[in-house]
Amino acid sequence: MVLEATMICIDNSEWMRNGDYGPSRFQAQADAVNLICGAKTQSNPENTVGVLTMAGKGVRVLVTPTSDLGKILACMHGLEIGGEMNLAAGIQVAQLALKHRQNKKQQQRIIVFAGSPVKHEKKTLEMIGKKLKKNSVTLDIVNFGEDDEGKTEKLEALLAAVNNNDTSHIVHIPAGPNALSDVLLSTPIFTGDGEGGSGFAASAAAAAAGGISGFEFGVDPNLDPELALALRVSMEEERARQEAAAKKAAEESSKQEKGGEEQDATMTERASEGASEADNKKNEFLQALAMSMDEPASSQDLQDTEMSDAAAEDPELALALQLSVQDSAKDSSSQADMSKLLADQSFVSSILASLPGVDPNNPSVKEVLASMQSQSEPRQKQDEDKAPKEEDKK
Amino acid sequence: MSAAESATAIHRNQVDLLDFIDWSGVECLNQSSSHPLPNALKQGYREDEGLNLESDADEQLLIYIPFTQVIKLHSFVVMGSEEDGPKTVKLFANREHMGFSNVSDFPPSDTVVLSQDNLKGKPVIVKYVKFQNVRSLTIFIEDNQSGLEITKVQKIALYGSTVETTDMKGLKKIEDH
Repeated sequence: MVLEATMICIDNSEWMRNGDYGPSRFQAQADAVNLICGAKTQSNPENTVGVLTMAGKGVRVLVTPTSDLGKILACMHGLEIGGEMNLAAGIQVAQLALKHRQNKKQQQRIIVFAGSPVKHEKKTLEMIGKKLKKNSVTLDIVNFGEDDEGKTEKLEALLAAVNNNDTSHIVHIPAGPNALSDVLLSTPIFTGDGEGGSGFAASAAAAAAGGISGFEFGVDPNLDPELALALRVSMEEERARQEAAAKKAAEESSKQEKGGEEQDATMTERASEGASEADNKKNEFLQALAMSMDEPASSQDLQDTEMSDAAAEDPELALALQLSVQDSAKDSSSQADMSKLLADQSFVSSILASLPGVDPNNPSVKEVLASMQSQSEPRQKQDEDKAPKEEDKK
Repeated sequence: MSAAESATAIHRNQVDLLDFIDWSGVECLNQSSSHPLPNALKQGYREDEGLNLESDADEQLLIYIPFTQVIKLHSFVVMGSEEDGPKTVKLFANREHMGFSNVSDFPPSDTVVLSQDNLKGKPVIVKYVKFQNVRSLTIFIEDNQSGLEITKVQKIALYGSTVETTDMKGLKKIEDH
């Protein structure tokens, strides 16, 4: 909860008419400003925020640092776009405004939205940065919009001159489907060096993502900390139990795997070809699993991308999983733990249970799981049979 | 240190104002984060020659020291090395929250150019009349001895007396006739 006075420098130059950040660059900026003001005020009620524009006829302070959100929102209304951005003057005026803040105990921070080309020399910017550092003012730069020669370089140089112990940040936001404010939410500008504003940012991020929570268990730790904690603890306990069980299974499976090495390569290819239909969540899961296990083996990577069209049907899924497990286990002993984990039936079944659309009680699933427990060679014969069948199914 | 000792011996009424510094309000602009102000100011740290206060972006330093009570400043000691110890030091009494931009806005209460003797520990006696009623002291170190990029200060000590306290030892019992 750092006590802070912030000055936000808005770029209202001609370049802001562009619509590559929907609805227009200027509107995206305005939304971001509103979000920042909210976050700052929420993290500490005594924080103040002020706004100034850098383009137009000249640098103009719209509102001096205040904790009144209404004033800030009101001043953003009816702003005109035009002219060229004057970054140096903007930062210097912001510094002056901060110097005359009412509460001298507040830390000074400037947030700059740099959306148009920077016409100043790198040296000038570095000198400004040094001056800011000398007066212990921290600077956050949001680099978006135009990206002409040297702009990024100049802004990075400015940041390097100001930066004192990583208190200043720069974020580069390319144009894309995501709104400017949404991208900003995940940056250190919002998370405030890991403290304070993260609560606001986290809940705003959850809302903005439209219900898809980015949190570990689908529960916002801020909304329901006890539930989140309970879930986390139980997951860790389960993992520990799985690992202990997996180690036992690994001893058995390693013997089996050595026997079936040569056939594994061809089997995996066929299996991954056969497994062509699935929903995306399973794909990503499989891919991630496989990739994390297959890092040392480059040949596996091709199979991994094929596996992105993974199985809709449960047996194919379990099959592919299991085969890639065998392959990687042979390739690197260091990956043994992971493969042991996967070789462990109970762990696999718990994974399958967590995947949507997969019912562990489904007889076909049970069949496959049972088959995993048996010896590798008969298993592979089964696979051989299944793989051509799957190709036929296509 | 004998020079310092004899100096304090001469001005017997003056005490080290370390005890009256309000540490919660002490600030230093342009200090390096790995070599902050307490290295030069705090008891124990300032005696350690390995611990210095160093400047960061350039050679200037602006130190703000508020006191817990009103004091009179008599003299001060600034110790540093020959090349990168401070040279020109300006003192401002009772100016809150100064910045580098307004150091030249008003005249300092006192300006001192430190000599090599001073840097070894010889106290500098200030214009006492200007420091009779000091609530806070701002020390502006403008440059260093050899014009280097970074100024290093090993020790800062302030000597003076407090205003409100009565010297109990000075009170003598009035003898009855």
